Amino acid sequence: MIEFKDMSLVYPNGHHALKNINLKINDGEFVVVVGMSGAGKSSLIRSINRMVTPTDGELLLDGEDILAFKEKKLRHLRTNVGMVFQNYNLVKRMSVLRNVMAGRLGYTGTFRSMLGLFPQEDLQLAMANLNRVGIGEKAYVRADQLSGGQQQRVSIARVLTQQPKVILADEPVASLDPPTSHRVMKDLKRVSKEDNLTTLVNLHFIDMAMEYADRIIGLRDGEVVFDGPIDQVSEKTFEQIYGRPIKDDDLLGGDEA
Amino acid sequence: MSEQPKVALRKATTRKGRIYFCLTLLILSALYIAAFATTPFGVSSSAASPLDTLRRIFIVPITNMEYIVQFPSYIELMIETIAIAFAGVIVATILAIPVSFLAARNISRNFSYVGKAILNIIRAIPELIFAIIFVAAVGIGPYAGVLAISINSIGMLGKLYAEVIESIDMSNVDAIRASGGNRIQSIWYGVLPQVLPEFSSYSIYRFEIDVRASTVLGVVGAGGIGTPLIFATYQRNWEEVGMILIVVVVFVSLIDIISGKIRKKMV
Repeated sequence: MIEFKDMSLVYPNGHHALKNINLKINDGEFVVVVGMSGAGKSSLIRSINRMVTPTDGELLLDGEDILAFKEKKLRHLRTNVGMVFQNYNLVKRMSVLRNVMAGRLGYTGTFRSMLGLFPQEDLQLAMANLNRVGIGEKAYVRADQLSGGQQQRVSIARVLTQQPKVILADEPVASLDPPTSHRVMKDLKRVSKEDNLTTLVNLHFIDMAMEYADRIIGLRDGEVVFDGPIDQVSEKTFEQIYGRPIKDDDLLGGDEA
Repeated sequence: MSEQPKVALRKATTRKGRIYFCLTLLILSALYIAAFATTPFGVSSSAASPLDTLRRIFIVPITNMEYIVQFPSYIELMIETIAIAFAGVIVATILAIPVSFLAARNISRNFSYVGKAILNIIRAIPELIFAIIFVAAVGIGPYAGVLAISINSIGMLGKLYAEVIESIDMSNVDAIRASGGNRIQSIWYGVLPQVLPEFSSYSIYRFEIDVRASTVLGVVGAGGIGTPLIFATYQRNWEEVGMILIVVVVFVSLIDIISGKIRKKMV
């Protein structure tokens, strides 16, 4: 369980990104965080693996306050909390399988990993995860040879290979076209349900959020302005979150054909 | 239709800009005039006329059969020169990598000044000085040459490597940090794959430079083809000087062509 208690984040430049966040996220939930750009979605998600560090309050992961974590515990935390990025963040000149194995680095000794001496069961796990997202046959292809949708699936395989409890996805489909976006979101939702992972996804398209979320959290100006299960959400809810009427730009459209 | 104001391609010069321009022009012309006025252009030659010397260096060795047959005898020394450059650049590459990571701002943050200072000091000292020091330290021969070349090359390679590292995409380093990798792992898996092709390309380029450099280093006794070259000049044996220069030019050109082709394929 992830618990935010009165958590705030002020950046060194004085920008107040998050204000008194109070939330509880249960194990296995698929939560979509929505809000306009600059609302604090990224800051909220990146607090959970401490890519940014909140300046006030508490953030409990299974009862432990992760805001106090230092180097060693922080690395342990990050093996448990995986992340999927908007731009995939793969090493383009490395093979797909090596990129996926990067997910095992937190479990592998420095020296062994430098020599590439990963245990066979880790390699099996990586291969199995590539097959789960349907790109097993691309294992030895260089990452930059793949399409955007395939690269994002590699990054999902990477995150699964680190065997996390939580997956954070920061605008995972913002660089993809509509049909590919839906396929990637379906894959992400399927694997997170299969492994019973808690998943937080930032999205700014309303129809996407409605289609995949179990629960929606709405942010505006660093504050939680909506929090509820998907069946309580309507277009009105989004107008309330965005603070303006819904426009065509807020919809991705093009559900998978 | 209303009158459109004229658009100039260049921003209008200010009064201050014009003054600076005139001032710069004035100082530069003064420097040129001073330089020409004080340089002695007269030729104070020895017994031999300059034209005859040039003829003996550049014409005789390629027209006289007696000298042409000497060509193969210098190849072995040229290969020694190339070997010195090759060994030097390999040692330099290995040592420059850790220094360049220390000097890269995006990796070492504030410590990068330490790395940059090391590289600046190395680059400030001419390779000939390194060669003289190492000849004194380990004796005459190619070993001193290798040491001089490698230390000197670290200066340039380290700086170029550090610039490559500073220009990389840090997002996949973030990804590895975010999955629990430590500092060394994030460098090994996030940075190195991005920079290695450029590193190799710069090393090959430096090898070209070092072949030329190690020719010169022979002059102070650091092995290779430079040693007979300097003896030949002492003896005013211009035909031999010319022959050695031809060997050097042929090999340096060959290496430039080959390494240029390899580098093009790499990046």
